[in-house]
Amino acid sequence: MSFLKPQTHIEKGDIVILYLSVNSMHAIEAVPTILNKKGETIPHIFQTPYGSLKVESIIGVKYGSRVELSKGWAHVLQPNPELWTQTLPHRTQIIYTPDISMILHQLEVRPGAVVVESGTGSGSLSHFFLRALKPTGHLHTFDFHDLRATQARDEFRKHGLESFVTVYHRDVCNLGFTSELDGRADAVFLDLPAPDLAVPHAFKALKLSGGRFCSFSPCIEQSQRCINALSKLGFNEICSMEVLQQENVVKTRTVPVIDLEFLKQPKSSSSEATKTPKELKKYLTSSNPQVLPGHTGFLTFATLPPNIAKT
Amino acid sequence: MATPNIQLGDYIIIQRQKYTKLQKFGNIDATAQLGKEQLELNALLDQPYGSTFKMCVKESKAGKRGAQRQHTLKLCSETELRDIRAVLGISSSGEDNRDICDNGEAQALKSEDIEQLREECNESSKIIEKLVENSKTFHTRTEYSQEKYLKKKEKKYFEFVQIRLPSIRLMADIFYRQDAEKVMGIRVDTLSQIISYSGVCGFGNYLLYESGTNGLLPAAMLNSIGAATEATLVHMHPGNVPQKQALLALKLPLEQQQRCISVNLYSVLREFYQGEALPPIAGESSSLEDAVPESLATEPNSPTEPTSKKPKLDESECTNRSPLRWQLENKRACALMHAKFDCLVMAAKEHPSSILQALLPLLNSSRPIVIFSTCKELLLETYMELKTSGKVTNLHLTSNWMRMYQILPNRTHPEVNMSGNSGYLLTGYTLSSAEKTQE
Repeated sequence: MSFLKPQTHIEKGDIVILYLSVNSMHAIEAVPTILNKKGETIPHIFQTPYGSLKVESIIGVKYGSRVELSKGWAHVLQPNPELWTQTLPHRTQIIYTPDISMILHQLEVRPGAVVVESGTGSGSLSHFFLRALKPTGHLHTFDFHDLRATQARDEFRKHGLESFVTVYHRDVCNLGFTSELDGRADAVFLDLPAPDLAVPHAFKALKLSGGRFCSFSPCIEQSQRCINALSKLGFNEICSMEVLQQENVVKTRTVPVIDLEFLKQPKSSSSEATKTPKELKKYLTSSNPQVLPGHTGFLTFATLPPNIAKT
Repeated sequence: MATPNIQLGDYIIIQRQKYTKLQKFGNIDATAQLGKEQLELNALLDQPYGSTFKMCVKESKAGKRGAQRQHTLKLCSETELRDIRAVLGISSSGEDNRDICDNGEAQALKSEDIEQLREECNESSKIIEKLVENSKTFHTRTEYSQEKYLKKKEKKYFEFVQIRLPSIRLMADIFYRQDAEKVMGIRVDTLSQIISYSGVCGFGNYLLYESGTNGLLPAAMLNSIGAATEATLVHMHPGNVPQKQALLALKLPLEQQQRCISVNLYSVLREFYQGEALPPIAGESSSLEDAVPESLATEPNSPTEPTSKKPKLDESECTNRSPLRWQLENKRACALMHAKFDCLVMAAKEHPSSILQALLPLLNSSRPIVIFSTCKELLLETYMELKTSGKVTNLHLTSNWMRMYQILPNRTHPEVNMSGNSGYLLTGYTLSSAEKTQE
């Protein structure tokens, strides 16, 4: 559970974010025992650079509390899509919060929305879709990789989200989004190597009253082909963009101010005795890190206007 | 969700090509001004949203800068909109622009001729056809240049408008384009991230403080809360009357509107701490624009009643209202404040620090806080204060870079202009204060 709604205390079976520092977070399952490689039941002990955590001890603890590790401490946080995106087991490359936020905004996802997504990948974006559309909407998510689809399905069940999502193992470029979904979707999202091949299927899946479309692709050629396919089918409001987030690292800096005026005067013998201390000035500063994400992908959005004949 | 029909009292979005405008369709005689064109809106009534209308010239008056035209609107089908190139049947084009010089003689028609053409023709394609016929250089232009020319002319003479149902996406665009100050400089990418980081959704109780975004921020949060869900938003503001334009424009069901509880920051905090329901006292308001004398009458309006952007205009009609409305809202807000919130979003014109200090204790632990400012320095200070307090972890100060692209066959490049200031977001998660007592 723990992804469904805000919760105050850790319940058995919750996914919990163990927060050590900005760069060190782990998603752990709050269960007292786990199976080891030999299939034996052993106590669930989680190892960190600050020592081990007996996971049983955090069940019933308030979210946001400090928990003791054998050589330090950490905080336990309730998971949400942002924290999950930073801690999830990567099965593919994933999309991060800045792009995802724009996708949700542009696709106008809100409770009650029916969203079609392909591919599921590691489920990073799926968790955001689910938060935005539950409890009255539904996510149909497709992946052509059998194991990934199965793993995603298991994850959604563990996270208490299974009633809002259907996971399909299917090659949508060749087979489409199934005829049951024809005219059912408010929004379609594609993250595929050849989005243009799935555009006609997206067109079929969108409601007759119209809907929104998004394709995420790392290369501009993919966006070009996709836009070409969209224009042919009568999509409008086509626009493409890039969103990059920049971290501002906050630091207090103390800088010395050196005095050069005294150099204009001849050196007097008494100067050593009256040596003034170096002046220091304190500033609250921020600067960008040395390396920043310079490219994630091109986001292409489009609208299918209402009442376009689909045959 | 079937497309609703246009009703009196609705806010509508009028779109003419890429230009969009938010307009209230207050009464049957309402008109909308689109540049020099005035549109009579009566034909919109009961037509479905998304419909396209043709502007038909009714009368034309000479104005200071060209003719002012009044139009009636006529419902039409999308099939009347065709690609201008196909309509004109343009086939020949040049290789490059070596033989074209800008000597002002390319167009044989004089501006009076064009103005007259405009009076006579109801269709932009006819006007453009004439312009092309009388252009000496059109056919020697390159295909791309011709397309650009046609686009430019079409933009000027386009006679169709589409009426759209307002959504957060469309309104965020309109407000930011018209005047970014209207929404405190919250750019679309930043707005989308405020929604993400705050975690606002169909479950939980959310707290927002904003000092004037024309209702965009509360509307975006209430939109994410959704219809027929259990979540609630407490919307604190510093003025007499909350700005609600975007909230009203969304046309949300009543039950959803009622889950946005708008309260005055001072009044609700006093009631929370002192348990008394007093109206805000004159001079307490920090609202930068409204120096309106405060009274009981100008207390927060109900979400269902249309609010003018200018509180002054509302005063007279407010006097008839039950003076208890704001008290009820305060009471509801206080109950939620005691139960604690699941996120805090702030977009303040004031220094965020003191407001944050007052509102942070109202949050559960392990909950996101999101503070917006266009000014980085304010957030730097706040960052340090939070870091030192140990009440919030995973602190990040971020900004965004957003670039739009023109993607056309053989003509792909970033757009020439881009927006330079996304504003800044300070985000983090609250920690349990219980541990403080343990130490």
